[in-house]
Amino acid sequence: MTNDAPAAEATESEEVAVDEPREARLAMISESLGDMLVDSHIAVGRDIWVRVSTDAWGEVADVVRNRLGLRYFGFLSVIDWMPSPYGRSMDSEVDIVLADAASSDDAAEEAPDTGFTRGVTGGETRFQAFARVSHVGDPGDFWGLTIKADIPDDTLAIDTWTNAYAGADWHEREAWEMFGIRFTGHPGLRNIYLPTDFEGNPMRKDFPLLARMVKPWPGIVDVEPLPATDDGAEEGDQ
Amino acid sequence: MGLGLVESGKMPKSLIKLLNVSRSYSVWVYQWGLACCAIEMGAAFGAPRYDVMRLGVIPLPASPRQADLVVISGTVTDKMAPVIRRLWEQMPDPKYVISMGSCANCGGPYWDSYSVTKGVDQIIPVDVYVPGCPPRPEALLEGIVILQDRIKNEDPSKRWVGEPIVVE
Amino acid sequence: MTSVTDRQKLQYIAAQAADARVNVELETEGMTLNLGPQHPATHGTLRIIAQLDGEQVVHAEPVAGYMHRGYEKLTEVRTYPQITTLINRIDWLGSFANEVPFILAAEQLMEVEAPERAMWIRTILFELSRISNLILFLGDMGVQLGAVTPVFFAFRDREFVLDQIEAATGGRFHPNFDRIGGLRDDLPKGWLESTKGSMDKVRDFCDQIEDLLLGSEIFQTRTRGIGIVPTDVAMQYGLSGPNARASGIDWDVRRDNCIGLAYPELDWKVWTHTDGDSFARFWVRIQEVREAAKMVDQLCDGLPAGPVMAKVPRIIKVPAGEAYVATENPLGEMGYYIVSEGDLTPFRVKIRSASFSNMSITPWLLRGVYVPDIITILGSLYFILGDIDR
Repeated sequence: MTNDAPAAEATESEEVAVDEPREARLAMISESLGDMLVDSHIAVGRDIWVRVSTDAWGEVADVVRNRLGLRYFGFLSVIDWMPSPYGRSMDSEVDIVLADAASSDDAAEEAPDTGFTRGVTGGETRFQAFARVSHVGDPGDFWGLTIKADIPDDTLAIDTWTNAYAGADWHEREAWEMFGIRFTGHPGLRNIYLPTDFEGNPMRKDFPLLARMVKPWPGIVDVEPLPATDDGAEEGDQ
Repeated sequence: MGLGLVESGKMPKSLIKLLNVSRSYSVWVYQWGLACCAIEMGAAFGAPRYDVMRLGVIPLPASPRQADLVVISGTVTDKMAPVIRRLWEQMPDPKYVISMGSCANCGGPYWDSYSVTKGVDQIIPVDVYVPGCPPRPEALLEGIVILQDRIKNEDPSKRWVGEPIVVE
Repeated sequence: MTSVTDRQKLQYIAAQAADARVNVELETEGMTLNLGPQHPATHGTLRIIAQLDGEQVVHAEPVAGYMHRGYEKLTEVRTYPQITTLINRIDWLGSFANEVPFILAAEQLMEVEAPERAMWIRTILFELSRISNLILFLGDMGVQLGAVTPVFFAFRDREFVLDQIEAATGGRFHPNFDRIGGLRDDLPKGWLESTKGSMDKVRDFCDQIEDLLLGSEIFQTRTRGIGIVPTDVAMQYGLSGPNARASGIDWDVRRDNCIGLAYPELDWKVWTHTDGDSFARFWVRIQEVREAAKMVDQLCDGLPAGPVMAKVPRIIKVPAGEAYVATENPLGEMGYYIVSEGDLTPFRVKIRSASFSNMSITPWLLRGVYVPDIITILGSLYFILGDIDR
């Protein structure tokens, strides 16, 4: 039942260490969710992730809250898994130096592939919704769960969580504004942060930060030689 | 009464001097607290340790219409900018603006943000810039002292002429 | 504004006022009241549009975003050490506390652990931020009710705590002292003693506020039974921190899910209140300041020796993975969900800030209250604009 996503090489100790309380919790979760559960992942000693099917997203909130008792609503948001077409927008000299040094530091590691990666529980679409809910019981009885679901690329819409968790209201408005994802059934999707005439969805990876296009990272000023000592004589020492 | 005379520029020099000294020691400042700097401004204006009133600055007008000076302290966002402009328009002449902190001066750490106005001087004229992120309360006090110097030495009839001063 | 000069206009206004009085008795017309964006009671730039029926709120709509600076986008184009500079400024009153969960999440991904001494110093500074944050709240709550004196006391006594933060980190406000793998520096000589001295001042301040406000009849009538948040609603909206504990939720991240800080080794108590009203929220915060002062004393006494920095690579490159770490910040649960793809910069950082969730309850909570109570309820929910808008 627990098939760890291939992207989870961050926790290599998985074979050795088994996180029994979290395994037990995951068994309970997958029993309640049934075939709504698509994928799951445990980081030993840290956290649980589950991915559910898109159609079940709204229902999952209900199950998780009422049947599993995860009544505390943490947050809800969206990830855009598309690699940024602008890179880090940090291509000034100092950054290139930094990046070179970083890649030579651990050359043994494989170069990052340019395709989409979709985190610890995998996925198929560009956008994924994810939410965090927690169980708050007696003192000491506290654990959290991150739930993810794919958002179809063609409709860019997913069910709302406001029926189960009233607090999802603002979080969904924010996600709608930042990513342009519609939450079907939400009582009023309107701008929360930005002025109503703002164009674009700023948190999408293809939204450019224009200030960075115009001007490189001004931190480069720090490594420029001082006007008096520009002739390499003191370059070696501080 | 006097204001017409002031604006005409025909006032006797000694009277202008007296007027300027009086104005500089009764600056009513409106606190336009926006972000982190608002707390340092609160410390400068409210905390016994800094005590701005000893400089002749009264930080408690109820509305911008009673204020001579406004301290824009904090990040100005594009959503906030029209409100600031309207506040400034509501203030009676002669009016002065202190821009406090990197964000209000130039955008500061949010220089590349999509929603921050890079500098309040794009919207309203600024008299004194106080740098820092956030500036210490002492820096704001120095900014006020510099503004008072400026008020003392200016010609009220041409009060908008001149370059902004920068506190270092 | 048109100026009211002539007699006729004055008479007209008087007639309108008389009509209004009749309307109150019979049936009132709706009115829309706009609070903010710049209003002394909104702690900054929050705007509230309230539709009134007489003196009662029918519907209140907070308009946030006047302080939206786009943190989540900006973190995607900054390296990890650069981000700590930025996130200091989310909740600007307790700035050190903002750094800790981010650093802890990054450390978790890198599988680095800070030395014990660094953990303890982090905890001390964390609690000092909590004190400097909540002290201002305690004073400010008086202002919301028309008592101006407490806020002057708050600014006075807060300086003693800021002095300690400044002595250790070099920054009054935004320390930027936390590093992945430890701290930038060790504590200066004599710091522990002077910190314990300032904790006495903090305790005195709490007593003073209790004398001035808590027992005051006006304060009690204005806050008791006002703005009640039931436990279940609080959970649904994700209320955390003192707001949740004032609604009877016995939950504190420091106790129940402490990661990488020294809380389990201290002797302290989580205070809760069952009423869930404005008074309870105020009361819980006073107790929290006291507990924090107690914790700082214990931490100063038991501070272990050793290094303050673990071995980390010179260039911070966080391995691919996802991690969510939350800590109990002065305002509530603050967490960072970091998605890393093994780069110099994070791929996505979701900032779960406490005030955002705490404020999302206001449309529900303000329904049906009287206009003056809007101010006390907002004051007692205690938000920081940077924490709502990010």
